[in-house]
Amino acid sequence: MKRRTFLQAIAGTGLSSLLAENSLAARNQPSMRFLRPPGSLSEDDFLSRCIRCGKCGETCPNRCIKYFDLENGLSSMDTPYITPREQACILCMKCGDVCPTGAIQPLEREMYTILKNVKMGKAIVNRDLCLSFQGKTCGVCYRACPLQDVAIRTGRLEQPHVLKDCVGCGLCERSCIQIPQAIRIIPDYDRTPV
Amino acid sequence: MSWMLIQRHLNKLRWFILSVIFGMLILIPFLHLYQTYEAAHAYDLLSPMEKTISDSMEWLTSPFIKDPETELNQLKGTTWSGTLFGLKLSDPLAVVGQVAAGKMIYLPFLLTALIPILLSIIFGRIFCGWICPATLLYELNDNLAAWLRRAGLPVSRHKFDQRLKYLVLVVGIIISMLTSTIAFAAMYPPAILGREIYYAIALSGFGAGMVFFILTLLFDLMVTRRGFCRYVCPGGALYSLLGRFRIFRIKRDVAQCNDCAKCNVVCQFGLDPLRDDFSQECNNCTACIAVCPTDALSFTINIKDQAFQGPGHLGHLHRKHQDKGE
Repeated sequence: MKRRTFLQAIAGTGLSSLLAENSLAARNQPSMRFLRPPGSLSEDDFLSRCIRCGKCGETCPNRCIKYFDLENGLSSMDTPYITPREQACILCMKCGDVCPTGAIQPLEREMYTILKNVKMGKAIVNRDLCLSFQGKTCGVCYRACPLQDVAIRTGRLEQPHVLKDCVGCGLCERSCIQIPQAIRIIPDYDRTPV
Repeated sequence: MSWMLIQRHLNKLRWFILSVIFGMLILIPFLHLYQTYEAAHAYDLLSPMEKTISDSMEWLTSPFIKDPETELNQLKGTTWSGTLFGLKLSDPLAVVGQVAAGKMIYLPFLLTALIPILLSIIFGRIFCGWICPATLLYELNDNLAAWLRRAGLPVSRHKFDQRLKYLVLVVGIIISMLTSTIAFAAMYPPAILGREIYYAIALSGFGAGMVFFILTLLFDLMVTRRGFCRYVCPGGALYSLLGRFRIFRIKRDVAQCNDCAKCNVVCQFGLDPLRDDFSQECNNCTACIAVCPTDALSFTINIKDQAFQGPGHLGHLHRKHQDKGE
């Protein structure tokens, strides 16, 4: 191959892919319910920062961080995620320390830092399923919560009420004794703390 | 002379280092499992298999550390990006991909690639030859191809243009910029391999990356010798560019060369040591130094490759030439 042909090929590929940019605009639309590790950037920033090194999962002492294969699309292949019903985050913040690119921000393990910076999602209670709302006192989710009375409080008959400071770690969903779970995390893909 | 003796055995040292790094990639997931067992404080609840892992890792690490939960965090990750005894190191390709995808520079991450970049500027594609975990498998794969060839099968005989990989690098950067995701992470064998070994040991099993890696092995075996490293690998392209003006080069001493061409046969990258052609592709694997019967090849400090010096003085071509001259 001549040098000129080679350079032309590079330029041609670049141009044609620039033209195709518009068709790629509708990317990163999450179709599954999953959480990113605590302190992750918003979904688009996260995907552009994460180099898929796998160190967050290798550091997680709770083994809650798993990795996507192809089920969430090519763009999030090999990125870390958490399914809270299987194994939830204990907010140890070790994944942020170990992340080399800042896709998961390094945060101190301290309540106000966590409340200010972490927003994986927010728990919602399904009152039709929740035992406490059926008159059978339960309160397991309240006791599982690492931010008791800050993120969740209990009312009459241990009925759980999620407050706005819930960071979405998923320990309540993990601990719920109902099948299917009566409390679940709705992920916040923008991850903007209130 | 003693330096020459060391150089002749560098290939064995290289194989040792490659095996150690590959072994570490297997060991680190087990260490992580051990850490999680320790963190859970639930040794009694482990299954027999998990108990075996926990016991063996404890046996392995207890002489060196007291608190596995925190101290083992000094050893994490893969060659793509990892922590080696507290020192964070990343592949320069990861930095290039991340800068392209994020369209910004994150300085702490850039600094982690500094040592690999400096090493590549001095030694060229040293990562490819001495560190890359995929190299170990690719070289074993090449030995397999040699056996098949000896058995009479027409395997791995094609040749392409080595500059193809620079195109892959450029296209990878463009794709990273357009999709805002790091495309290299899905097509760079050392990154894939490190990840997949972790998946297989600590998580559910091999993922789609392993399929890609096996395809590259088959490509090397069937189509072309060390084809992925030579023609496709974007990391190899980046390291070649970084090592274009590398300081350490292998040089042929024309006075000692006898034109036996063993160096050309043994070079998996298809270079031409016999005609002084190492170029930026040489990964310093030192196989040619090890195989040379007359010690004509050795490392020298030089920024440029030697131009072709003519046939070796111990070879018959040179003698014939001289006879004609006289």
